[in-house]
Amino acid sequence: MGRYVLRRMLESAVTLILATIVVFLGIRALPGDPARTLAGEESDPATLAAIRQTYGLDQPLPVQYVRYVQKAATGDLGRSPRTGLPVAETIGHALPVTLQLAAFAITIAILIGIGAGVIAAVRRRRPAEWGANAVALLGLSVPNFWFGQMVILSLAIAYPLLPASGFVSIFENPVESFRHLLMPAVVLGSGLAAIIMRQTRSAMLDALLADYVRTARAKGLGGAQVVFGHALRNSLIVVITIVGLQLGALISGAVVTEQLFVLPGFGKLTIDAVFTRDYPMIQGVVLVTATAYILINLAVDLLYSVIDPRIRVGGAAL
Amino acid sequence: MTTVQETIPAIPVTLSTRRRVARRVLRNPLAVLGLVVVCAAMLTALLANFVAPYPFDQVNFSEPLRPPSGTHIFGTDSIGRDQLSRAIYGLRASVAVGLLSVVLSLSIGVPFGLLAGFYGWLDPVVSRLTDTLLAFPFLVLAVGLAAILGPSLSTAIIAIGIAQIPAVVRVTRGETLRLRHMDFVAAAVAGGAGDFVLLRRHILPNAVNALIVQATVAIPGAIIGEAVLSFLGLGVRPPTPSLGVMLADAQTFVRDGPWMAVFPGVTIVVLTLALNLLGDGLRDALDPRESRS
Repeated sequence: MGRYVLRRMLESAVTLILATIVVFLGIRALPGDPARTLAGEESDPATLAAIRQTYGLDQPLPVQYVRYVQKAATGDLGRSPRTGLPVAETIGHALPVTLQLAAFAITIAILIGIGAGVIAAVRRRRPAEWGANAVALLGLSVPNFWFGQMVILSLAIAYPLLPASGFVSIFENPVESFRHLLMPAVVLGSGLAAIIMRQTRSAMLDALLADYVRTARAKGLGGAQVVFGHALRNSLIVVITIVGLQLGALISGAVVTEQLFVLPGFGKLTIDAVFTRDYPMIQGVVLVTATAYILINLAVDLLYSVIDPRIRVGGAAL
Repeated sequence: MTTVQETIPAIPVTLSTRRRVARRVLRNPLAVLGLVVVCAAMLTALLANFVAPYPFDQVNFSEPLRPPSGTHIFGTDSIGRDQLSRAIYGLRASVAVGLLSVVLSLSIGVPFGLLAGFYGWLDPVVSRLTDTLLAFPFLVLAVGLAAILGPSLSTAIIAIGIAQIPAVVRVTRGETLRLRHMDFVAAAVAGGAGDFVLLRRHILPNAVNALIVQATVAIPGAIIGEAVLSFLGLGVRPPTPSLGVMLADAQTFVRDGPWMAVFPGVTIVVLTLALNLLGDGLRDALDPRESRS
């Protein structure tokens, strides 16, 4: 156990260092003077000199890199030339929006995905299974931004039931927050729901044929008790794995969904930064995402090594 | 030495296996449907100049925002361009991205996967590199690349291709690990085959099936990826037609021209659905044990 945890943490540390190098070099791969890039397009020589000073751009690259990492580690991601605000502060304001959206989407995906997966596995070779499979296949083939457009078209424009844009925090007004986030969360969660459904179905099919389920049936346990108490419980580890693996897709999905529903979150910040050539912001956003992604993946890996001891032996390979 | 080597069958995968796979696919009606649609879409994209009823950039200010009709089956956009013709040319971008990004990811991912699976000491190095790539979610990677390279069709291809490299490396590495201890590889080693010959003639041909399965997931993913990037303005830029660009244009006219958002989307869905059906069929045919239906 200890060795596995240590190895996994060491691997994550190496990955994190490599990722910071990529982000660091990325901004220097741009043509032209990095000081000018970081300062934005209209900048006077005094600002440029100040930026060279702060970022130590006259120093050799390794020295610059160490300084960059030192600053980033203390939460200093530079300043946006566009807004003049610290990048870390802007990200801090956008993050709660994305986290609320993601939490809502994951909840919806898990409820629908597991529900449909169980039904499809229990009702084999019946219309319910075919229906669930067809919806899952559709869920994998429909791009989520187009699904979002269609949802807006039908539920916000043709039949104005829900607002098409805007964000209300759940801590301010739970009801309005629900109304504003329902469509985006369904759109963001739909792809994940399809994947969870497929995996739950196949894990349940395996579980329902396993010896311990036959034993439970032989003991005289009822259908529902076998399905939910025995088979589903052992299929749930799959769901944790999937949510962990789909994290990247979820982050990408959030970028698109926020753009579509005009939510002032992390994803919208990212896209806006590209179009305004706000390089410190792009650098900050990419660094924060990569760091979060590596740490969450580590957490998921360690979590299911606790749940399923077999993983520790074989390594958490895909 | 070389004479001994030639007497050893290089690859257990024979032509008859391939023929059996093809027969299994053709017996699956959904897979055949997928195949037909995919072939039709590729032909349409290739012959866009002949198939499209209008040039994709023909502006007609007297017919803006016309709903679907006999003369304009998909309707027209805000400056009177025929949406069907634009969708047909848009398929070109989809097909180009679908194929070229997969070629890119295979040409980088396969060598790395083979080396990582074959030389144990290289494995941790390659794994850390792929983990690093994986630490950047697809759109974040695309954002970074678009910031450096500028948005364009090639940026979309490069971003999608790079994002798919880790999966290719993993599949190739896994197959190499599995195959290198098999008897026919041991026989080739005994016959004096060098590392390069082993990888090129004995291991790679047997990893092809797994790579085909991987590609059947990657291609529809890449087509959706292109649409997403172009929709966000990070991929194909107007006036070049792309299904994603058309959907981005439709955003402004959701109220007055909802068909502008419906038809390009349906085109993407039909194409990716067909690819997924074909992919599922191929997967079942290549590895019947995996089949769950």
